[in-house]
Amino acid sequence: MRRVLDSSSRSARASGSSPSSRPSVMRSIVRNHRRTLPGLLALSFGVEITEMLVPILVGWIIDVGIVQANLWFTLAGAAGVFALRLVSTWGWAAMFAASQRARMFERHRLRVAVTGAVLAPDSTPIQRPAGEVLSIATSDADKASDVMDMLPWVFPASTVVLASALWMAWVDLWLGLATLLGIVVMVLVIRVISPVLSARYDDQQSRAADAAATATDLVHGLRVLQGLGVQSRARAQYRRRSRIALHAALVNARFSGISGGLTTLVTAGMMAAVVIIAAQRTLQGEMNLGTLIAVVGVARNNMGMLQGLSGVPVWWASMSTSGRRVRDLLGDLGRTLDDPRLSLDHLSTARDQRGDARPGERRDGVGGFPVPGLDLTVADGTVLAIACADPRDGEHLVAAIRRHSSLERADLLIEPHLVDLFDGTVIEQLATRAPAGFDEADAAAAMHAAGATDLLEILPEGYETRILDRGANLSGGQRQRLALARAVAADAPVLVLHDPTTAVDAVTEQRIAEAMIAARSLPDRATVLITRSPALLRAADEVVFVQDGAITAHGGHQDLMTLSDYGRTVQR
Amino acid sequence: MTSRTRALLDWDAEPEEVLGSDATAQRQLAEHARILPVAEVGATVRHLGRRLLRHRGMTLLTALVVTGGAAAAAWLPRLIGGTVDIVQQGGTTDQLIHQALLIMVAGILQAVLTALGWTLVSSLGQRILAGMREDVIDRALDLPAQSMEITGIGDALSRVADDVDVTARAVNNVVPNLLQLGFYIAVTVIGMLTLSPWLLILAAVVLPLYGLSGWWYLRRTAPIYRRERIAMGARAQGLLSAIHGIPTVHAYGIERRETRHVAVLSQTAAVLGMRVMTMVTRLIKFIVWPENLAIALVLILGYAMVHVSDAPVGLVTAAALYVVSLLWPMQAMIFSLDDVQAAAASLTRMVGVIEAIDPAASPGTQRPQDASVRLEQVSHAYGEDADGIERTVLQPLDLEIAAGETIALVGASGAGKSTLAAILTGTLVPRHGRVLHGGADLARADIESIRAHASIVSQDVHVFRGTLAEDLRLARAEASEAEIWAALDRVDAAGWARDLPRGLETEVGEKGIRLSAEQSQQLALARIVLQDPAVLVLDEATADEGSSGARVLERAAWEVARGRTTVIVAHRLSQARHADRILVMADGRVVEEGPHEQLVARGGVYARLWEAWSR
Repeated sequence: MRRVLDSSSRSARASGSSPSSRPSVMRSIVRNHRRTLPGLLALSFGVEITEMLVPILVGWIIDVGIVQANLWFTLAGAAGVFALRLVSTWGWAAMFAASQRARMFERHRLRVAVTGAVLAPDSTPIQRPAGEVLSIATSDADKASDVMDMLPWVFPASTVVLASALWMAWVDLWLGLATLLGIVVMVLVIRVISPVLSARYDDQQSRAADAAATATDLVHGLRVLQGLGVQSRARAQYRRRSRIALHAALVNARFSGISGGLTTLVTAGMMAAVVIIAAQRTLQGEMNLGTLIAVVGVARNNMGMLQGLSGVPVWWASMSTSGRRVRDLLGDLGRTLDDPRLSLDHLSTARDQRGDARPGERRDGVGGFPVPGLDLTVADGTVLAIACADPRDGEHLVAAIRRHSSLERADLLIEPHLVDLFDGTVIEQLATRAPAGFDEADAAAAMHAAGATDLLEILPEGYETRILDRGANLSGGQRQRLALARAVAADAPVLVLHDPTTAVDAVTEQRIAEAMIAARSLPDRATVLITRSPALLRAADEVVFVQDGAITAHGGHQDLMTLSDYGRTVQR
Repeated sequence: MTSRTRALLDWDAEPEEVLGSDATAQRQLAEHARILPVAEVGATVRHLGRRLLRHRGMTLLTALVVTGGAAAAAWLPRLIGGTVDIVQQGGTTDQLIHQALLIMVAGILQAVLTALGWTLVSSLGQRILAGMREDVIDRALDLPAQSMEITGIGDALSRVADDVDVTARAVNNVVPNLLQLGFYIAVTVIGMLTLSPWLLILAAVVLPLYGLSGWWYLRRTAPIYRRERIAMGARAQGLLSAIHGIPTVHAYGIERRETRHVAVLSQTAAVLGMRVMTMVTRLIKFIVWPENLAIALVLILGYAMVHVSDAPVGLVTAAALYVVSLLWPMQAMIFSLDDVQAAAASLTRMVGVIEAIDPAASPGTQRPQDASVRLEQVSHAYGEDADGIERTVLQPLDLEIAAGETIALVGASGAGKSTLAAILTGTLVPRHGRVLHGGADLARADIESIRAHASIVSQDVHVFRGTLAEDLRLARAEASEAEIWAALDRVDAAGWARDLPRGLETEVGEKGIRLSAEQSQQLALARIVLQDPAVLVLDEATADEGSSGARVLERAAWEVARGRTTVIVAHRLSQARHADRILVMADGRVVEEGPHEQLVARGGVYARLWEAWSR
């Protein structure tokens, strides 16, 4: 007999392409909005220019209107500034709304693409903890999408800062030089402090994330902690991590403070230079008072803008790190962001084969199920039990069936041994993959087959009781029975169950063995039980005994009990 | 303009429309009831006040430095105004140089104080936050996990992680910025008013409009934020549970359903987020009116000041600069409002936990004298059904367990075994009756001594985050490496533990190597060895030996139980038969009691069970 039930049959697929050749997430985001971006940039440019014009106009009005005592000019000027800023703000609002829509849309798109990719069966399986995937799908997706927030502002703002320097140079060469020098020093300072700041910030974030993960972990393990009565030690452990996080945060606070101080210093120096040069020129009569006021106003605006822009490199660094994290996760899954199967409209319209909001019709029998890896076919209408001397063979067998079965997915249901229930009422749990027309009578039958009828009495709202994520409001045995009921309710042509009663007491197990096997004994249904429970083995139509990955005996439970190896396997 | 995005997402959709037919998502979003308490705003402010008082020296210093920085910043327009006056009055270059030096001094002062202020505010905030998060965990660890509705646990989780994170982010950037801006605005306004009483008109017209619009904004956005947060929480939960249950998702072919579940919640959050952004644009569109009014007024008032009350032009310049330099900080404040609002919501949730849940205190000082256990008329019930009748899960019971005795609880699901087990160790407080450990009444005992005295290991396994050694040292912090190895050896886990890449220092738990259910349960038993309680309850602790199944867990459990008073909730009768005494339970009461042979001979419930089992 062939020996294929081997762990080495695990396919070792190389993961995707090398990181550097993976398509950039940021580029994909920007490309998605390439038609709207130029418009946004133009609008934003207009807004920034207006902001810069306001002090110039105010200077002019003070000079002509107030100093030269022209009341009408003052009034008209005030009205003009009023109107100009009003128009500019409307423009800004339109720009802002559009860029925020783009940002919100990208967040959503990235998140759904990551979710779709992680859950798709044809993605490369990855071993990253769920928490990490969650943080990539939420906070990294959010941060990467901030590029749509940043782009429409950074380029116009930088251009306007440069343009204002040029205007200063046109007014007076020295003024222009002083402004330019200020900008250059600012850029240098930013270049020096940004990497340090980024590193400190990352350190703080990772320490904080560590403390948060510890907290979550302790609460998840709360029952275990309380069972042991070691709350105070858990507390101490969290406190330690919290203090480490605090230390990193304090270091970061110092660096942030110093960086803020430095940029303030540079802008203040620039300001002083501009004021003094302009004042000197005015004193010498080469410049009028209005221009002096305009120059000072523009310089002050510049100061604010430069300080705002000084945060951009750190912002960009965290943004592109997030973009890379999204890209790498998708790459590890063997997917890319622009995969049409991960697009929003595909994911929101494509339907599952089964287990959908619109379930299918009852499937016909498949005419017998050849068990992959074993020289064995389970005929329709039979419940076959496989007892493996080494439980690892059972696991390999399940894996082999999952990988090598030629059946359509809708025809085969392998209920995993480790139970997972999703948030939903009892009836919704049972209907997960049930054929169309599933009603309470079917549900009752499935619950009976799983020995779970008593659950309906215990649960406060019967079928309408909400079962929480992972079945957290049920005990281990209740979870296992509900999952079994769900599997029976699915009424799959071929059902494979792996140790379905390990968390159930002896009395209930006996009930399940009889009821579940009766429920599955339909002429067009085949069932495989991988188990070592005598109750199940006794109730099965046939039993196959597997040793060292191969069938060594075949028959009824009572017959096989004469084999000493078999007896040892099932004896408890 | 954004035809592409508009075609794909309907930004005006109501959340209910977005959720469509996803009943689970609808339930999640509708579920406003929070299990854990949320503090009132007033209580939160008082709480923060008390914490600030604890750091009163630093708080005072911070306030001084920030005020100084703001004053230095607000000095600048005045100096510039002074410069304009010098120019207008035809002053000398020396005067200008003097003025330039003052501007530089103001700049340096501002720079130094900004650096210091930022650091101080952020540090103070981080210290307070650290204290708060530790207190939240403190309370969370004492929540009654055994009897608690799990929604409460989910809520606790979001508070210890999300709320702390939201607040930390605000403390990092927004709070220092906002505080400095706030002081700057206040100092600038004061500076303006000292310039000329004329400017009082300006302040009187403009400031109320700002206040009004801020109030309008906060009132309108708060409910949107709340719903957005709920959608985000449900979204995270949906994603986590789908990832956790990938084998089931694939087996049932529900990957699209689960993806869509996350997608509709994500879209709901996006739509709600966009609503807040729309509010922001409305706010800015409104606020531009008082802003423009301020600029126009400063010009017109400036005209009046110069030509009616003979003020110097420099004064008008300073006033104009003040107004122009206020616009940007005001807008920055508005833009940080949403972060502030999110942080404030999180703070009320954190303070709610800290203030409303009392830290577990010892109910008394009694200490157990030996390893015996006695139950006197103990009964328990959960909640009430529709007719107001308690759902009794345990009928009144008297039970005496001698020190060192091994008891097995046998019975069908729902017979009350686990309830009794939890009551025995004190993790569940019964509705009626007394539980005594070594003579000490649990209702009057010293909490830490009881915790160390009795432990329960259940089917819920959890491997803690961190290294293997850290996990085990939760049970005994001072355990040496040799003791840890000995404990692992006793539960037959030393073999695989030695094969781990870095031995005891191997990272396990969610971030590290995934241990099998059986290995995790071995760890749980090893923790017991290290903690060494006198009374041990094993609640189906060996139920799931799915994989290797060589009865490793069962052997380990007996090994750990040796020398302790042990209660085993057994569903394999092979475990029960070795016990000194077996209690057969049905419908919340003990129906048979005695050692294995005696019960088999009696021919009752147990005998029938055993017959079916050993056939």
